[in-house]
Amino acid sequence: MNYDIHYLTSYRYDAPVADNLNALRVRPATTSSQRCDEFHVRLDPEARIHRHVDYFGTEVLEFGVARLHDHLTIDVRARVVTSEPPEAPEAPWEHLDGDTYAEAAGEFLLPGEAEPGDAALADLLDIARARTPLATLRWLNELIPDRFAYRPGVTYVGSTIDDLLAAGAGVCQDFVHLALVLLRRHGIAARYVSGYLFSADDDDGTDSVEVQTHAWLEALLPGTGGRGEPIWVGADPTNRRLAGETHVKIGHGRTYADVPPIKGVFRGSAGAELEASVRMTRLDPTASARA
Amino acid sequence: MSTLSHLVTDDAAAYRPHPGCYDEVFGPDGAPRAHAVALAAEIARLGPQLLTAAGHRRDAIFVQQGITFDATGEDGPVKDRPFPLDLVPRILPAAEWDHIERGLMQRIRALNRFIDDVYHEREIVRAGIVPWRLVVSRSHFARAAHGVRPPGGVYCHVAGCDLVRDADGSWKVLEDNVRTPSGISYVLENRVAMTRLVPQFFQHHRVRPVDHYPQLLLAGLRSVAPSAEDEATVVVWTPGPMNSAYFEHAFLARQMGVELVEASDLVVRDDVLYMRTTAGLRRVHAVYRRLDDDFVDPLEFRADSLLGVPGLVRAYRAGTVAIANALGTGVADDKAVYHYVPEMIRFYLGEEPVLDNVPTYIMADERQREAALARRGELVFKPTGESGGKGVFIGPTTPAEALDGLADVIRAQPEKWIAQEVVNLSTVPTAMPDGSLAPRHVDLRPFAVFGEQIRIVPGGLTRVALREGSMIVNSSQGGGSKDTWVLEEDAGAGAATHHTQLHDVVPTTMPGLRYGGDWQDQQQQQQQQQRHEGSGPC
Amino acid sequence: MLSRIAQELFWLGRNVARAEHTARMLDGVFQASLQGRPDDPSGVRLGWGSILAIMGAHGDGRPVRRDEVLTRLTLARDEPASVISCVSRAREGARTMRDVISAEMWEAVNTTHLALSAGDLEGRMQMGPYSVFQYVKERSALFWGLTSRTMLRDEARAFLVAGGRIESADMVLRMLRVAMPAPGERESDPAHPDGVRDGQALALLQAVGGFQAFRRAVPAPPNAGPVVRFLLYERAYPDSVAASVDAVHGALVDADAAPRSSEPVLRLSRLAADLEFRGRAAAVDGNLAQASTLVQSELALIDADIAERYFAGAGAAAGTVVA
Repeated sequence: MNYDIHYLTSYRYDAPVADNLNALRVRPATTSSQRCDEFHVRLDPEARIHRHVDYFGTEVLEFGVARLHDHLTIDVRARVVTSEPPEAPEAPWEHLDGDTYAEAAGEFLLPGEAEPGDAALADLLDIARARTPLATLRWLNELIPDRFAYRPGVTYVGSTIDDLLAAGAGVCQDFVHLALVLLRRHGIAARYVSGYLFSADDDDGTDSVEVQTHAWLEALLPGTGGRGEPIWVGADPTNRRLAGETHVKIGHGRTYADVPPIKGVFRGSAGAELEASVRMTRLDPTASARA
Repeated sequence: MSTLSHLVTDDAAAYRPHPGCYDEVFGPDGAPRAHAVALAAEIARLGPQLLTAAGHRRDAIFVQQGITFDATGEDGPVKDRPFPLDLVPRILPAAEWDHIERGLMQRIRALNRFIDDVYHEREIVRAGIVPWRLVVSRSHFARAAHGVRPPGGVYCHVAGCDLVRDADGSWKVLEDNVRTPSGISYVLENRVAMTRLVPQFFQHHRVRPVDHYPQLLLAGLRSVAPSAEDEATVVVWTPGPMNSAYFEHAFLARQMGVELVEASDLVVRDDVLYMRTTAGLRRVHAVYRRLDDDFVDPLEFRADSLLGVPGLVRAYRAGTVAIANALGTGVADDKAVYHYVPEMIRFYLGEEPVLDNVPTYIMADERQREAALARRGELVFKPTGESGGKGVFIGPTTPAEALDGLADVIRAQPEKWIAQEVVNLSTVPTAMPDGSLAPRHVDLRPFAVFGEQIRIVPGGLTRVALREGSMIVNSSQGGGSKDTWVLEEDAGAGAATHHTQLHDVVPTTMPGLRYGGDWQDQQQQQQQQQRHEGSGPC
Repeated sequence: MLSRIAQELFWLGRNVARAEHTARMLDGVFQASLQGRPDDPSGVRLGWGSILAIMGAHGDGRPVRRDEVLTRLTLARDEPASVISCVSRAREGARTMRDVISAEMWEAVNTTHLALSAGDLEGRMQMGPYSVFQYVKERSALFWGLTSRTMLRDEARAFLVAGGRIESADMVLRMLRVAMPAPGERESDPAHPDGVRDGQALALLQAVGGFQAFRRAVPAPPNAGPVVRFLLYERAYPDSVAASVDAVHGALVDADAAPRSSEPVLRLSRLAADLEFRGRAAAVDGNLAQASTLVQSELALIDADIAERYFAGAGAAAGTVVA
């Protein structure tokens, strides 16, 4: 799929602020199933942009506006080509043991900082285990949206899994955090993915849709066969499916905090109003829709 | 031959070293060791009353000068207590210090290489010596510092490794501190206080001075700064006066003649660090920071840190500012990583360790864990990411139920714990409130500066557990300190007070001193002349 | 004002300053002597006999020990250079001027004299001379503080200050002798720092109370060369020789009815300019010993000029009778 992404963020401060430093993680990554062909960022007020690649391999754009200003607009445009990811391997649980998997899993198998104890997750942990790791992944895709309502405004960016459990509702970020814990407890390495999702249906013919940045996950599934290399498989519990060509990945990390789309600090005691919108436009003719 | 030890106590009972420990002054027969004979005699000569009186003067001076710290007393936190300095110094003969110094230099070099390796090629991981899982699970592993190499490849500009002396007299490393080790200010102030309060103790010894530390630190910071050396602007960055080590931050800034800054004084523009001065923004080339990585930059670490400077990590990455100690050194500060240091020395330096570790067990390893928990009444358990003696459980002195609870905690999060064999720390005679001496357990924290080379201040901070039998030496938990003397050479008792090649020079070109005006003299003269001449009206 | 009173004020200032600087110098040298220095065997250390000589006290040629020198220069009444003698002279002088100086100033001097004469001082010196030196420093600071608060800024004060500052300059130059090579001796080689001299320089700097100031002003480490230069030339440091010379100059300009024709004022101007020049132009260490010898000689000449111009009863020829 070919997409055009327009991500516009606008801050308005009720008093002038200074030394506004920001880090953006908004550029679609280039992976085996995705390629970013064009990418532009425009800033108002203007500022020089530095690029660097962070520890997890995500491209970060850094800039700062030193002088006093009362608004900041970040205008991001990208053109990206995606393809269907390969078929997810169906391998038995035993393939999780052994050095090949452990090495590929690295730190994504390690418990996080502030995770709920086993007690809080007990019943979920019991149910969550299925016949194979892949089956577990698919099962979680259903289990979590079944058990928890998708409701914005109940949690916020700093919420923990305990908050989600207590509220019984949350947004994509919370669903993913919970899924990560459950997968890891079963010995499946998993990482948090930030990106864009083209969420329109094929059949109603819309080519362009307003979205938000989206969160899903990638689980490391063991390969089949003797030398089957484990591969990272994307899954989207919010939308009950594995990731496909409508998912445009920006980057990954252990949790949301490792890949926030925008992170910034400014100097001043003003309040800030944020408006953000993402418009994704499919550029292919709707040939694929016609079956 | 216990006459001397008899003199130092008020009653007839002689000073008794604890059995099973090494006393550094008195041997098991009660006679002072060779290097301590002169000191023991001086203390005896001074007597318990004058020793106590000197102690009172010390407290008054420290309170006056603000050499204090905050502690936790029985009823909660206590502020501004005079820093406890025991007036009996601890002596290290030159040969012993040589051994310690060699061992520390080797260790610091190895740790420095480890830190560089862990944030770049990971060779020691690929060689299968240190598991990657261990490294990456350390709470102080700084992903933001990954791939960045500071000038000269130096990360631990200031290192304070804690040493202890076992019952057989051998030195062992208890733990490595390469994040923000503190205590050097007390070392310097203690020495000054000793020369003022008990100068007679110095009589028969040639004690190596320690007051060049601030110069060493400043030179070290300048040598890593990205600018011409004499133009480098260096600052000491403190979290502020509320921090328990604030005295030391201010002290070092003053001694080095550099600004003491807080986060609000600093700003990053275009990846360059500046401080706000009355003459506008002034560029900062090197920062000696006394706060943990977590608080240093809200854009890269804890977002809620008000103590940090946004963009500092960017400037660091861009190489426009040097940070001491470098970001990410905490990965080597960890007690579980400590277990691997002897292997690091072999791997990076190809040498055998000069100083041994205390035998340590990693709780993350199941076999070691179960073996250790089976002996939990005999071992010491420490959380890997803490410092200052916090969270430590000493098996032999902890009730069984508490140890059972601890076992559960450890099994739940084994990555966060280690166990160590108990070391019977050595003892040094310490002044009691009545002026008598009694043995108390000590450890040693020497301070090293790594700039162009590694320089270690002779001695360091000797910490004393003031409570009888206790081995907790941290000042925040009731510990005290001693001045540590490294002698210049293995002189026997009674080294001469005069030095070789005394040179008596009377500069002849100097004008003589005058003592008063000659007004009276002049007036006197005139009168005399008059009388003498005898002429004048009658 | 009366020449006699001017001279008494001048010497009051000198005696207070001398007592203080002697105490500071002894403290510094004492501190340095307690701890060993790394390069000791190869360096040359100034004996305690030399220190006696530099301070103008008289030995009888036989070798002296540290404790003797300390006690002699602090407490010996028969030694005119000792701290206690300076304080006594200051007190005597102040007594004759109780109408000119403020009551508080008199009391400060008097109390100091009484405390030092009290008798238990010998014991205190044995225990640790620091407390005695500290006392003298504090009392002298009190005296000058009261001077600047309670004394009218007139001719009288000018002479008091001139005396104090000219003595400061002279004393600092004497102190530096300890840390500098003697004239004609080889200068220290920067590649082989002299641990002994460096140690004494640092101790003296701290004794004078100038360590923090030095650190803020000078990027170099406190070795003998930079410390000596700082104490000689750094105008921004109040106790440097250059600053003291400026202060004496300023005081005399205030006091003198016709400063432009005043020999001491002119000499002081020239000396100040010379110090300024040396401070800026001299290379790393230059020849500091030579420079300080010249400065000290010049100060002695200035001292003589002052005596002649202000204290000799200008206008009164010798032999005039006042019946």
